[in-house]
Formats: sequence, C-alpha cells, structure tokens
Amino acid sequence: MFNIAGKSYAMNVITPVRWYLAWLNKVIFYAALKIPSTLSGLITLSLIHYARWVIIGRNQFPHMAPEQPREQLKYSYMLFFSNFNGSWDQYVDSFTFSIPGGLDMFWKWNVRYSKSVALTPFHRYIQYNQLETQHYYNAYPLAASNDVKSAKTVKAALIAFDQELRKGTDAEFLARYNTLLRGLQHDMGDMYPTPIVSMAAYQLERRHQRHERQLQELKAAASEGGV
Amino acid sequence: MTKQLDLLDIQGNVIRAYGRFGYPVARYVFLNIRNAARARTFVGKLTKKVTTATQWGDGIGQVKKPVWTVNVAFTYQGLKELEVPRESLMNFAPEFAAGMKARRDILGDDGPSAPELWDPIWQENRETRDKDVHIFVSLNASAPGWPANGRDLIETSYEQLELAWQWLKDIVAQHGGGVVILGGNVGDNGALLDYQDCKVVMEQGKPTAKEHFGYTDGIGDPVFEGVPYDTDRVNGRGKQLENQQWAPLATGEFLLGHIDEAKEYPPAPNPVLLSRNGTYMIYRKLHENVATFDAYLDEHGSKYPGGKELLAAKFVGRWRDNGAPLVKAPDAASKAVFDKQLAVADKEGQDELLCNFTYDADMSGAKCPFSAHIRRINPRASLQMISEPGDPPGSLKNSVGAFDTPGALTNRRRVLRRGLPYGDVKDRTRDDGNHGIIIMMLNSDINRQFEFVQQQWINYGNDFKAGNDKEILLGNHSVDDRFPSKAVLQVEPTGNDTPYILSKIPRLVETRGGDYFFVPSLTALRMIAKGLIDPT
Repeated sequence: MFNIAGKSYAMNVITPVRWYLAWLNKVIFYAALKIPSTLSGLITLSLIHYARWVIIGRNQFPHMAPEQPREQLKYSYMLFFSNFNGSWDQYVDSFTFSIPGGLDMFWKWNVRYSKSVALTPFHRYIQYNQLETQHYYNAYPLAASNDVKSAKTVKAALIAFDQELRKGTDAEFLARYNTLLRGLQHDMGDMYPTPIVSMAAYQLERRHQRHERQLQELKAAASEGGV
Repeated sequence: MTKQLDLLDIQGNVIRAYGRFGYPVARYVFLNIRNAARARTFVGKLTKKVTTATQWGDGIGQVKKPVWTVNVAFTYQGLKELEVPRESLMNFAPEFAAGMKARRDILGDDGPSAPELWDPIWQENRETRDKDVHIFVSLNASAPGWPANGRDLIETSYEQLELAWQWLKDIVAQHGGGVVILGGNVGDNGALLDYQDCKVVMEQGKPTAKEHFGYTDGIGDPVFEGVPYDTDRVNGRGKQLENQQWAPLATGEFLLGHIDEAKEYPPAPNPVLLSRNGTYMIYRKLHENVATFDAYLDEHGSKYPGGKELLAAKFVGRWRDNGAPLVKAPDAASKAVFDKQLAVADKEGQDELLCNFTYDADMSGAKCPFSAHIRRINPRASLQMISEPGDPPGSLKNSVGAFDTPGALTNRRRVLRRGLPYGDVKDRTRDDGNHGIIIMMLNSDINRQFEFVQQQWINYGNDFKAGNDKEILLGNHSVDDRFPSKAVLQVEPTGNDTPYILSKIPRLVETRGGDYFFVPSLTALRMIAKGLIDPT
C-alpha cells in the first residue's frame, strides 16, 4: 500500500448513504460552501492539503464498456478524499477533537455512521470504509502544506524586496531587510525529511528501497554478463 | 470537582510528584525475573509496602506521610515473566510491548542519543533474557527532623534512602534468586551502579525545583478530575474553555478505566481490574550537556538584543530564576513588576502568577517563541491559529470559534511529569560529567500522548508553522552539517524589532536510556502477585 508519499498521506473513504437521503448531503455541502464560517475549523487545521466530499449516485458509477455488466446498487455513496500531513491517527484525531460537530453533519445520513465522539467507534468506521491507495505520487515529498504556503509567501516577498534593492541608503536597506525578516518570521522553518509517519510505513519504505537496490544490482550484473 | 478517585487503589507516584511533597532524593531500581513463582511472591511482599495516593494526615484513622515511599511498575516482558495470561498481554498497547528502544525512530533517539550509547543497563535491555528489565521499583526519601537537626537536607534524606534500599535488598535476598537487581546504571566517573540515584539541585543550602541548566521544572504539570489536593491548581494546568475559564482534564487521559477527553474508556487490557486505576509510565534518562549549553547561551547572549537572561528565558518560555512566564513578563521591565507581585503573593497567588496564562495575547510568539519548551510541550489553546489576507505580515491570530473547544489539539496530548535531576555538575566547562534528569511521564496512551509530543512537537515544528525547526532545549538537534538546526525567536509583527535566529543549535540534551512501563493499581498488583489475572 502507498497511502504515504513523503510527508503526505492520501485518504479515500467511501461510505454508503441511502439513495433517497443523498440529496440532503448535497444541500449541506452546498450550504457549507456558501457560508465559509462553517469551514473555518477545517481551514484552521493547517495539516490539510486538500479535502473533498462528493456524492456518487447509485446510477453514477462508471460504466466503461458495453460488456461490463450493469450493477444494481442499493446505496448511493459518499466519497471523501483528502491529502494531509502526518499520520492517520494524527489526522483523524485532529478532526474529531476540533470539529466533531462538522463531521457529524457531513456523515450524518451515512449508513452505520458511529458519530465522531467517542473516538474508537469512529476510528473503526473510517478504517473499515477506507480504500487503500495503490499508487501515490508527490512532487514535493519534503513539503508539508504549511511549507508550500510559506514558500509562496517567501517567494513573493523576495521578489518585492528585490525590486526595491538598490533604492535608498544603507540604513534604509537595513530597515527594509529587517521588515522583510519580520514579515516572514512564520515562514522560515527548515524543510528536511523526517519525521517518519509510523514504524510500519518506515519499515515498508526501507524494504521497498532495498528491493529497488537489489533489482538495480541484478540488472547491472545481467548487463555485465551480457557483455 | 465532583469525581472522587479511589486514592487507596492508585499508586502514589501517579498523583504526586514526590519532589514537590518534600522527598528530595530517590533511587530507581530495575530487576530481572529468574523464577516466576518466587517473583510473584516478591511482588506480593513489595505490594504491602507500596505507597498509595491517599491523603496524608496525623489524625486518628489517617494515613501518616511515609518517611520513604515505594512504587512499582513492570515492562511488557516483566508482565510476561510474571505469567500474566497472553490474552491480557496482547491487549496492552503495541508500543508498550515493543519498548522504547524499538521506537527510536519515532522518538528521534539518534546520533549521541542512539541506544548503542545508552547506559549498559539500557543497552542490554531487550537483547538477552537475563538482562531484560522486568520490574521497576522507585524509592523516594524525605528528611525527618530537617532543618531543625541543623544538618544537610540531602545527607539526612540519604540516611532514610539507605534504609529503604537495605529493605529492598533484603526482600530480594529472601526470594532465593527469584529476582535479581540489574547493574549498569552509570554514576559518577563512569561507575556502574545497581540503581539510578537522583536528588534535587540545592542552592545555598535550600532545595530547588531546578535542573542543571538552571530552569525550574514541573511548574505546569497537568491537573485532572478527581485529585483532591489539586483543586486549587486548575487554572493554567487543566484545559482552557471557551469562556476563558479552566477545568480539570478528564481522568481517563492519565488513568486507565476512566472516561477520557474523547468520552470513552481508553484502550486497556482485560480484566478491567488489571488496568483500572493503572497507567503507563515512560522512564527516560536525559543527560544534560552543560558546557555546550553555557557556551551556546554565552555566544548568542552577547549578541541578543535583550541580553543573556532573556535569551535563556526564550529557550524555555520562563525566566530561569523564578519561572516567571514570558507571556506575563516578556522583558526586563515587566519582569521586575512580576517579581514584586510574586514576592508578596501567598501560595495560591504565586501559583496563579506562574501558571494561569494563555497565549491568546501572544499568537505571533513575540513574547514566548513558538519553539520555546513550554509552548511546544503544552501549547494550551494556541494551535487554533491562522493568518488571513490583509493581516500584518508575520502575524498570526486566533481563529475564534473554529474548533469546538479551544484546546482541541492540546487536551489529548498532555502528559504527567515526574522525576528528579541526577548527579552534580562539578565542572561546568565539561559535558561529560554525571548530570541530567530522570523524567518519568505518565499517560494512558503512550503513542497518542508522549510519543506524539516527542515526535511532532519536540523534534518537528509543522503544527507551529515552523517546518522542521525543533524545540530549542530538548530537540534532537542535528549533528549533520547538511541539516543544521535553527529556531526563530519571533517579534511583534507591527513593531520595529527583528526576529532573532538561533543558528546551528547543538544537541543540548541526550537520551541515555529508558523504557515503557505499566504502573498497576494496588488491586492489580495483588492479583498479579497471587497469579489471579484471568481475562475470561
């Protein structure tokens, strides 16, 4: 499984919802987008890169070719798709600690939804309905979502600073430089590897790297043998 | 506070930081089990003497304050050797079963903190069966008659500690090789001892709550529901509520078998009597590099605009001399006012001054930096932060009402801290003396509480919008020149100051050993001793 790439975790959760109630979810999603304050908890959780909820009607599942048999689905489904930094536990826990009411509102009509508090039944619900990621590409494996935001802030500030670079006296330059630093004081965090997300994921990654290395060695040996 | 805990069933060290209750010295002893039946009898004998959390008094029918205390805990292997049934064992937390050494990559115990460099007792632990640490016994002693006896506090307490130690050795001897005391705790001049010795740091003949860098330790220890002698200590130590008030944390954050902050019983093994009123303990021996610390503080103290002592305070979030929090005393002038208030305050007032604060008025970290020790260990409600277009550059603000409770991201990451300094600093120009602290942290979920704080908040900074920047004092600062450690000391975004950058922070604290333990209730101890644990 490749739920993890660099500092990011990809989560897909698909949960059944009674088809005749799915429209209620759509109304709630619509209202949430119209009234931004309902999402302020989500936005404040800075570990989230991205989160999306979608209702897939029971007749909306892909039908790729005429020979694919038609499915008779009993339920519509809600797909929750998110990319975040940190471990599964950290993410799910942050959600339930911070915005339990919001979660309950989004999942309320889903079949067998446990409510977000207490925690253990909620953990089980998400785990049971999670689709493991088979392939996950991350262009910036060292970057958390905060790092991406900071990088953009730093870039814009540096470009603006550069345009004023040759103006004024040395003292004015120093004052401008200090102002620049002050403005970026929450955007100067280092960007290194670590921390590992879990021992299991860490062991998996090391095994994967070892296999890759062995494969390269075998290839090299084979090509030498060929000559 | 409405809940009443069964204090006679809970071990005393869970509820009391003994140092604060007049026990200035301690000895931590580790034993290996060689015969299960005799080891159980040994545990039974210990249990009769175990200090509970009950309230002390000199009246009729009250339990007198003991001159020395005894507490017991077990590693996973220890419980296995005592023949606790497999079904119960398998329901303990996986990280408890794995042990601290196996969790090194989560904890950041690398470089000079790597297990290969730990004290022999911890290096050899979990390698061969006969060197495994199975049982932990802690002995804390007080000094009856001091100061009226005109003698040294430490010396007087050590006499009592020797009695306790002799008592323990005697009962070990009575159990015919059923248990053996493990050696290999490094003491002065590299000597290998049969125990870890600890004592408070003395200043001018008086005991202090300081460690070897000079900071006062343990001020902000959490307060939770049901502890009768903590009722007037809730402000600043419990959880922050919407209305600016404080409430004690849920008992289940620190004791198994009680409802926690997620309104459920924390995961724990069966039978309930095995886990209820018990908890997990993290034992860690942390060496303090005093010479490196002094040199680094001097180097930057001479450049830092606020001077050396303010810089030292910025490392931790509290001033070294009296623990004054930077949030209340951010500079020399406000510190002078604070000191005057502290000097005339009664005990309760002092507590309010030292502990009752929030970061609500310091969301940008101009007073207490984001990488300071106390802000990282316990961010209170300050993780509910955002910046929006139009805000002054470099500022953060409270995202009011975003979370269902202001402490949402903090309340389930709290850890009780126990322990004492060890050794003496005989030469402040050297790092390699025998000096540091033994810290024992208690919580009901090692992974969710201790390991999370250690990994995400001490050795990483993303939750504080600080990228990979680590906590200044305890962070496992890089020894690799390609990844030098740094920290930013923030300033008022709308002022004229410049943020100060602490560059190339050296490793100030190094791990020298430790493991994860289970601290059973008195009931569980008796059942373990009798071999009565049955989860069915």
